[in-house]
Amino acid sequence: MTLPHWALLDELRYLEQGDSVDRQFYLDLAARGLRMPIGADLVLREQPDPEAILLDAGRLGNVVEATARRYHTPLAFPLMDLRLEKADLLEFAGVPESEIDQFHFIEPPSERFAADLIAASARPFSRRIQANQGAVRYIAERTELVPVGMLIGPFSLMTKLIADPIVPVAMAGSGVTAAEDKGVCMVERCLQMALATVLRSAEAQIAAGAKAIIMCEPAANTVYLSPRQLRGGSDIFERFVLVPGRRVRDLLEQHGVDLIFHDCGELLTEMVQQFAEDLRPAVLSLGSSRKLWEDAAVVPKDIVLYGNLPTKTFYSDSAMPLEEVRRLAADLSARMAACGHPHILGSECDVLHVPEAAATIRRKVVAMLEAGETAL
Amino acid sequence: MANLQRLSNAILDGDQKTAIAATREALADGVEPLELITNCMIPAMDEVGNRFECEEYFVPELLLSGRAMKGALELLRPLLTASGIQPAGRVIIGTVKGDLHDIGKNLVASMLEGGGFEVLDLGADVSPERFIEAVKSGNANIVCLSALLTVTMPAMRTTIEALKLAGVRDRVKIMVGGAPVTAQYAAEIGADGYSENASGAVALARTLVKAG
Repeated sequence: MTLPHWALLDELRYLEQGDSVDRQFYLDLAARGLRMPIGADLVLREQPDPEAILLDAGRLGNVVEATARRYHTPLAFPLMDLRLEKADLLEFAGVPESEIDQFHFIEPPSERFAADLIAASARPFSRRIQANQGAVRYIAERTELVPVGMLIGPFSLMTKLIADPIVPVAMAGSGVTAAEDKGVCMVERCLQMALATVLRSAEAQIAAGAKAIIMCEPAANTVYLSPRQLRGGSDIFERFVLVPGRRVRDLLEQHGVDLIFHDCGELLTEMVQQFAEDLRPAVLSLGSSRKLWEDAAVVPKDIVLYGNLPTKTFYSDSAMPLEEVRRLAADLSARMAACGHPHILGSECDVLHVPEAAATIRRKVVAMLEAGETAL
Repeated sequence: MANLQRLSNAILDGDQKTAIAATREALADGVEPLELITNCMIPAMDEVGNRFECEEYFVPELLLSGRAMKGALELLRPLLTASGIQPAGRVIIGTVKGDLHDIGKNLVASMLEGGGFEVLDLGADVSPERFIEAVKSGNANIVCLSALLTVTMPAMRTTIEALKLAGVRDRVKIMVGGAPVTAQYAAEIGADGYSENASGAVALARTLVKAG
């Protein structure tokens, strides 16, 4: 018989500060039938002043805690705000805060700038980023929940620094070098800076008490990386995604922090396999385009698969009726149970609040968590 | 004799340098710009679209081919203007307010250019006011609205409402697209058409222009 989710919280009270959460921990959660969304945004947007909360570590920590308690999970997943590391990098470049989201480099940043950025890893973080780190600290110090950090992956961060990264990435994938093409040079320089920024963010979240970190690489997908090139033998996935990804994983390993790897993009099976085998995450979270029961064949059994209901369509009752959510959740649970791969049922990404559809999204998240439980 | 196959292959291979060189050669050999476009470049981009549909090509190949086509078109555009030749249609395109994602929009823009349309790309995070201004100041047939996020999708409705309020809605056909968008949503917000991918967008644009 499966324990009710709330019972897990009591079980986890043994996790005192300083303990290392290990792979077995996630396997146990999966075995006990944990289900959870990545849902902090839903709870945040219920508050009267969400923008103010984003700047307040204690209140943001409260939101993260409330999310975990609402969905009966010991894992305190933070907001999936993938803009933070870009902001950190561009603040160093002197880009005004109001222009950061829209900003793209139009020339390759100089080698000197990249070196200065890397050398300045001890500089202070902005208030917004400090609030996120403070929320991790809040969870670590004031709750029995598992404090989980959040990072954008280096490749995905690089794609946010350049207006049109696909073409130069494809050119690099076909063998064009940085010396031959300015776009390729820009991609490589930005990737180098992105990695340094992600490592700095990871270190700060670890210092704040993160026991696990979700690294999100949604851009490492078949839109940015041509399957035609990959199947033709290009090393672009290894060079641009796996090599920097391994650097982050190594840092986490050094500190006994578990990697939860998330990629909700369209992927080749070979990419899923390489994420699993090369990065060795504790949990691998994939988007709804993947059939997890098929991916289970290429993912080692000590890596929990997380996901992957199409929560991006939950806003629409026509595209995703409530009954269909129940059916999909029950079907996925049954298939994963049948294939015997450890699985935590959840969302394909963070479940975003949509003002005109807030109630229907919440209903469907609950339906996802409850559907077909008796079948487990 | 001009080697049009070389230009066609360059577009198919996404090789901009060769596409530009082949276009220069063809012009030097006396090939008419319109003939280059109609008999070589548009068929090449149509073939790129076909290869995309059957998953032989992917987004990077589409963009590389679009870039090669654009490089060649830049040589031809002044010549076309001088001879008074009209494009297949004029399109204003942008990602709606609050949404910074532009891959889908760039793809559609690239494929439309490849399909012989003149495209005014307003970029990402485009306010309704900028769409209105672009419609008022030009003679576009079509406005294309893109959104990647469920949270920004409602800005498509806002933009269409704003175009109505400004009295310019009926001057243009409106196409919408993006990951969370469905045909039903397009109909609900009063768009004239929806396409789920970039090559479908070209066919839809041609249909809408014909329908007037």
